Amino acid sequence: MNARAPESSRITSAESDSARVGDAVRRARQGDVGAFEIVYRAYAARMYALCRRMTGDDAQSRDLVQDVFVRAWERLTTFREQSAFGTWLYRLGVNVVLEQLRSRKRDDTRHTDAGEWIAGPGSMGDRLDARMDLDAALARLPAGARTVFLLHDIEGYSHDEIAQMTGIAPGTSRAQLWRARRALMGMLDA
Amino acid sequence: MTDQTTHLTEDDRQSAADGTLPVERRADVEAHLADCDACAADVARITELMKRTRDAMLAPPSETASLDDLWSPIRARIEASKVVSLGTGARPSNSRPLISLIVGGIAAALLLTAVMLRVRPSEPRTSATAQATPDTSVLRAVSDSATAYEAEAQILLDRLEIQRATMRPEARAAIDRNLHTVDVAIAELKDAIARDPNNPALRQLLATSYRQKVELLKRANAS
Repeated sequence: MNARAPESSRITSAESDSARVGDAVRRARQGDVGAFEIVYRAYAARMYALCRRMTGDDAQSRDLVQDVFVRAWERLTTFREQSAFGTWLYRLGVNVVLEQLRSRKRDDTRHTDAGEWIAGPGSMGDRLDARMDLDAALARLPAGARTVFLLHDIEGYSHDEIAQMTGIAPGTSRAQLWRARRALMGMLDA
Repeated sequence: MTDQTTHLTEDDRQSAADGTLPVERRADVEAHLADCDACAADVARITELMKRTRDAMLAPPSETASLDDLWSPIRARIEASKVVSLGTGARPSNSRPLISLIVGGIAAALLLTAVMLRVRPSEPRTSATAQATPDTSVLRAVSDSATAYEAEAQILLDRLEIQRATMRPEARAAIDRNLHTVDVAIAELKDAIARDPNNPALRQLLATSYRQKVELLKRANAS
């Protein structure tokens, strides 16, 4: 009996939080910036985590979190309440990050359209320390391979969805994923 | 059909690991894996990598607290975008040019504020604040200026309150909207100054915002 009480109060609290955020989303759609702050506080950490995973960079991720929420505010009226707001926001966040990555693509000397590896200080040829942090290993992947790996293996998108989101062919997405996995195995294994 | 001398293709091994093997390949691949230690070990390694990265990546983030400071610049950008859109809204025709000018000025101030707010306190500051020791006389003069405009704005607001009853609803709404915009800018700037009290540029922006509020109120009182 005693053991169940905390669980039930957690559930009540979670339901109440969810209702509060849902109400905030509705008010934000009507132009209430104060309500949008509640939405921000509910989703900022998850959005930061997504941006951080996809860019591997703290400062860039913080900028992207701002971009995502500003974009979300601008697009709130397109959100249909039949779908989960979190899913909608997440998809929007992925798109914002991908746009950013695309705009930086030309400057990324480690990446080409075909996802080829180019020798450099961070090339796959350098076998990293076996205990290398996963974040650091991901950061050393070429942008295209990292993006596909994260979208497929972490975020759960299919190759067709990734192709649609990134503008590459599904076959290229598959090839990028395999390269990314092999590279990570090489960097993370002893 | 596969055999132990040729091993599975990369496609088969990767697909076996993430469970996306086409139905027609499953039986062959599973049969091969049951007999080929090298392929089975490789598939297991890929599966382990996927599990390891997913567990690590989806762990709850620990940076929630440090994200609080991002809200101010987000809000400033939102308000700035709202300000720009006011240019197409319905307003009394005689007040449009001045209000557009004021609103434009506030938009610029908000954007500047947003940029300044994006300099995180934990980072070495590169703003004017850090480059030179704040000149207290300058800071005092700018503060006095803001205070004087604030006082004048309050007098004009009181006067406007009396006139509100005789104003057309749409004119009243337009004035309220623009006052709200200016007030949001002022609130953002006060917030920024609280965090960076010796920044003369922020104080100058605050004084300018108050001056614009005074101009807006004067115009409203005269209409």
